[in-house]
Amino acid sequence: MAKVQVLNVAVLDNPSPFGNPFQFEMTFECMEDLPEDLEWKIIYVGSAESEEYDQTLDSVLVGPVPAGRHMFVFQADAPNTGLIPETDAVGVTVVLITCTYRGQEFIRIGYYVNNEYTDPELRENPPLKPDYTQLQRNILASNPRVTRFHINWDGCAEKMEDTENIDPAPNVMLPPSCAPGKALPLGLLPDNSMDCL
Amino acid sequence: MKLLKPSWVSHNGKPIFSVDIHPEGTKFATGGQGEDSGKVVIWNMAPVLREEDEKNENIPKMLCQMDNHLACVNCVRWSNNGLYLASGGDDKLVMVWKRAAYIGPSTVFGSSSKLANVEQWRCVTILRNHTGDVMDVAWSPHDVWLASCSVDNTIVIWNARKFPEMVTALKGHTGLVKGLTWDPVGKYIASQADDHSLKVWRTMDWQLETNITKPFSECGGTTHVLRLSWSPDGQYLVSAHAMNNSGPTAQIIERDGWKTNMDFVGHRKAVTVVKFNPKIFKKKQKNGSSPKPSCPYCCCAVGSKDRSVSVWLTSLKRPLVVIHDLFDKSIMDITWTLNGLGILVCSMDGTVAFLDFSQDELGDPLNEDEKNSIHQNIYGKSLAITTEAQLSTTIIENPEMLKYQQEKELAEHRNAASHETQAPKLTSVVNGESLEDIRKNLLKKQVETRTADGRRRITPLCIAQLDTGDFSPALFNSVPILPGSSMSSQLTPQLSSDSSTANSLGLRPAQDTPATAPGKTPAEPKEGGSSLALSGSASTGMNSTSMKPNLLLTSAAKMEPMKALDSRFTERSKATPGVSPAPSLGSLDSRVKDSSSLKDPKSKDETSSDSEEKMAAIKSLPFNKRKAEMEGGEVVEKRKKGRPRKDAKVAPVSQAFLQATPSTEKEPVRVVAPVALLKLPTPTPQKAFSLQVSSEPSVYLEVENEVSTVGGARLSQLRCSRDGREWDTLLASRILTAAGSCDVVAVACEDRMLSVFSSCGRRLLPAILLPAPMSTLHCSASFVMALTAAATLSVWDVQKQSVLVRNESLQTILSGTDTTVSQSLLTQQGVPVISLSNGKSYCFNSSLETWNLIADKQDSLVQCADFRNCLPSQDAMVTTGPLAVMQGRTLNVCPHSSQRLSTLNPASVRTQPGGLRKRELLKEVLPVIGQNLRFQRLFTEYQDQLELLRNK
Repeated sequence: MAKVQVLNVAVLDNPSPFGNPFQFEMTFECMEDLPEDLEWKIIYVGSAESEEYDQTLDSVLVGPVPAGRHMFVFQADAPNTGLIPETDAVGVTVVLITCTYRGQEFIRIGYYVNNEYTDPELRENPPLKPDYTQLQRNILASNPRVTRFHINWDGCAEKMEDTENIDPAPNVMLPPSCAPGKALPLGLLPDNSMDCL
Repeated sequence: MKLLKPSWVSHNGKPIFSVDIHPEGTKFATGGQGEDSGKVVIWNMAPVLREEDEKNENIPKMLCQMDNHLACVNCVRWSNNGLYLASGGDDKLVMVWKRAAYIGPSTVFGSSSKLANVEQWRCVTILRNHTGDVMDVAWSPHDVWLASCSVDNTIVIWNARKFPEMVTALKGHTGLVKGLTWDPVGKYIASQADDHSLKVWRTMDWQLETNITKPFSECGGTTHVLRLSWSPDGQYLVSAHAMNNSGPTAQIIERDGWKTNMDFVGHRKAVTVVKFNPKIFKKKQKNGSSPKPSCPYCCCAVGSKDRSVSVWLTSLKRPLVVIHDLFDKSIMDITWTLNGLGILVCSMDGTVAFLDFSQDELGDPLNEDEKNSIHQNIYGKSLAITTEAQLSTTIIENPEMLKYQQEKELAEHRNAASHETQAPKLTSVVNGESLEDIRKNLLKKQVETRTADGRRRITPLCIAQLDTGDFSPALFNSVPILPGSSMSSQLTPQLSSDSSTANSLGLRPAQDTPATAPGKTPAEPKEGGSSLALSGSASTGMNSTSMKPNLLLTSAAKMEPMKALDSRFTERSKATPGVSPAPSLGSLDSRVKDSSSLKDPKSKDETSSDSEEKMAAIKSLPFNKRKAEMEGGEVVEKRKKGRPRKDAKVAPVSQAFLQATPSTEKEPVRVVAPVALLKLPTPTPQKAFSLQVSSEPSVYLEVENEVSTVGGARLSQLRCSRDGREWDTLLASRILTAAGSCDVVAVACEDRMLSVFSSCGRRLLPAILLPAPMSTLHCSASFVMALTAAATLSVWDVQKQSVLVRNESLQTILSGTDTTVSQSLLTQQGVPVISLSNGKSYCFNSSLETWNLIADKQDSLVQCADFRNCLPSQDAMVTTGPLAVMQGRTLNVCPHSSQRLSTLNPASVRTQPGGLRKRELLKEVLPVIGQNLRFQRLFTEYQDQLELLRNK
């Protein structure tokens, strides 16, 4: 069972101009004292087509984390506009907040983000080259998409990587469409990754 | 017999593997498969029992659901005392749950259902030892042990008093262990496994008592569970799946010699579950008929893979009732209600049925006493360790006792009432700061450092200790969030932003919908029922374009282009070593579902055309937007304006707040005292207040703020009355707090000015400017003590015009974030005493300039010390010394201190220890004893003796 449960994420400063930093107020609860820090990341999806355009806006370590309920504000600068494909600048995209413990991602919180011009004139006739100063970012705060992953909270990450290196067969054997997102059949899991389940 | 299938008890159609009714009979738990995890749900029993409660929407049906199990939950069992719930599942874990106090309803973050959990059950311990799916768990009588069995062929006994300690593992089965039952006498535990055996183990040495194989030799391992059961009188053990002449039976095993001569026959397929009624029955004595007393008998329910349930009485040769076709799939678990007259049955088909019997059908249940006497007869000992439940049925023999019992109940009621009203207040404040304040400044306040490799590291602000439902002292100043305080307040802006986004994302005109919806909705498995149903209604030409469907459609349409993006929500970043991603909460996006389910060929096309669609959608967005503006433009505009206005409203408030407590002026304080982070609560300015300073001579202070306005300045009045003579004075700033003694009167104002007057109204000193706002002010003799909000302490002797304690920081004693000052006082000698929320009290020794610990409530030495026995009760104490106040002379009569109480026996002891008359003391203690029903006899004895002595 996950030792850390995210209880709430409040999106601060929303909607705001495109250039404003992202601010998320995270509230999470920890079942027992964590010997290592949590690593939080904000990832801005530049384009839906490819992960190539993903930008990690910032990553912070959060710690020490004793058992209890905690809060912090995660602030990260706005995405580098140079890295966003021009066609994808305006419209709907996604911002992700991920948290990893010992190098293993255990929660992914996604929000839809709508970037649009506030000026009706611009909205009707958007410039070919996006004018980021005029763009407004609106995060659909009411509809977070939370995905939780099972990780090994006690063991170390290296071990798990080892098992992956040793026994990559289950992944290969599966139809490619099954690989991401879908849980592996239980029987195919390497033995010592059972511990974390 | 009445039969009910409450359709609302479901895991959304997923199988329910286990059901158990809480010992109080007010709720029941189900365990089974969740969306993509195991699921435990706690339900309200009342809507099952009463139809009016079922229809009453104010009565919640679901109390709590827990998705913490990673895989299917095979068994849920309440402890006998009802405090804990144990659950075991395919994730090899046993979790023990306890209800958390102080936390109100909450939702799971990110879960689609906005349904709140009415009760909060929190996993208090996880028991890890099994290497395979846990099939059954069972609490021993009196909750001494918890046993769990698993497909790893073992049974593990856990120490239920000291989780997660393991007592032993019972090894011996050579197949999957699928059922457990404790002997009600506590001598044995029995297990049934797929290895064609039923084993009985001794609890004394945890060795095998007997191994029964004969009735099971023909059995195949085809059932999911083998829940066997022991009769409440301990005489019979009934197995699940057994075979007799190649017919499925439930084998009856006699305790006496473990004989296997009888069985329950009749089910057409394997028996999965047997459950004895916890009550023992006797036949109703009908008037005139059989005068001979009938033998007590037991009642047993049997569920089978043939989807039928049978109920048997050991006094009858045939089943009392057999119910076929109640379920579509195998019966998985049965549980009896507290009164023994109802059963809940759950099935693999995901439904639950309730069978309600009448006493005419089953017989008269024996009461606990009768049951105990049966046990006494058979085993020579009563099983009853007087439990609370039984205490409540104890007859109160003494009228005085009754009085105290009633008083106790009343007090409890009052406590509960005041608790409820206090709870939200309590929770919204952390260390004197409201959660709202904390949240406002969190970004500025949070500690951010750089690690050696230059990365940002944030120290999170701890807003609550982990609450396990115990009354831990930490709860008094650190408190969990109530949804009322933050969650809901946050929900509103979120909702408004949601609606505004919905609007800005394109509110389609209603006429468009039939054209667009049918084509698109099939590709939206995620949007599920709502959109599909809608498309159905749209395509059938029913242009019922009410507001609601319209909104739903737009949300469906809105999600449409984002399928490509959707996958990003669930795909783990490639850098992280993956185990098995198991997205939860049903937020599995369409992309993943599409691509993983090969059944749906349509979805393949969908994914490939994702990019095009998205492009199209992006292009269409401004278009939609325009339309929305034309048709719903007003709404959008309103919302747009609404938001900034809201923000603007917040700003003046915070400004006003800043003005009220001049926090800008706090900056210099930080320079003086680097511990400015320690903040003590400051009193809020009141319009008027008064206080009595002393009674001999009687001195009263009255404060009235903003009593008059002179030249734009608001004046505050301080009035002092001393033995009938009065004086008053005006001050330019609002008075926050006032204090006085026979000699001096001191008032602290909002402008950080401290004014000191003599008792006759003469200003003894020009106003003192404090380094920070005043938190607490005390006067005693000619001493004035000031505790500022920056947690610094000063004591002055205003007569001698000298300083005793100079701006001393409380940092030394306020170590740790969770302690606050709970009380402070100043002795007649000018010694400041501060007691903290952690039970420690310190005084500041001004000659040594040290903090001295003078009392510690948590000091185990002090708690066990003998002097506590002779501490006088509160009422007997006429003089209250400061040390006594700090040490808190609360009279603790703990339930197990009867030996200690016996020393109070008035007849045996006539001395006067501690300068107090024993009998007087006893008179005071008697009401306290009277509140505990266990001490009824002791109470009566002492009362009689006291009465006797009084009459002498």
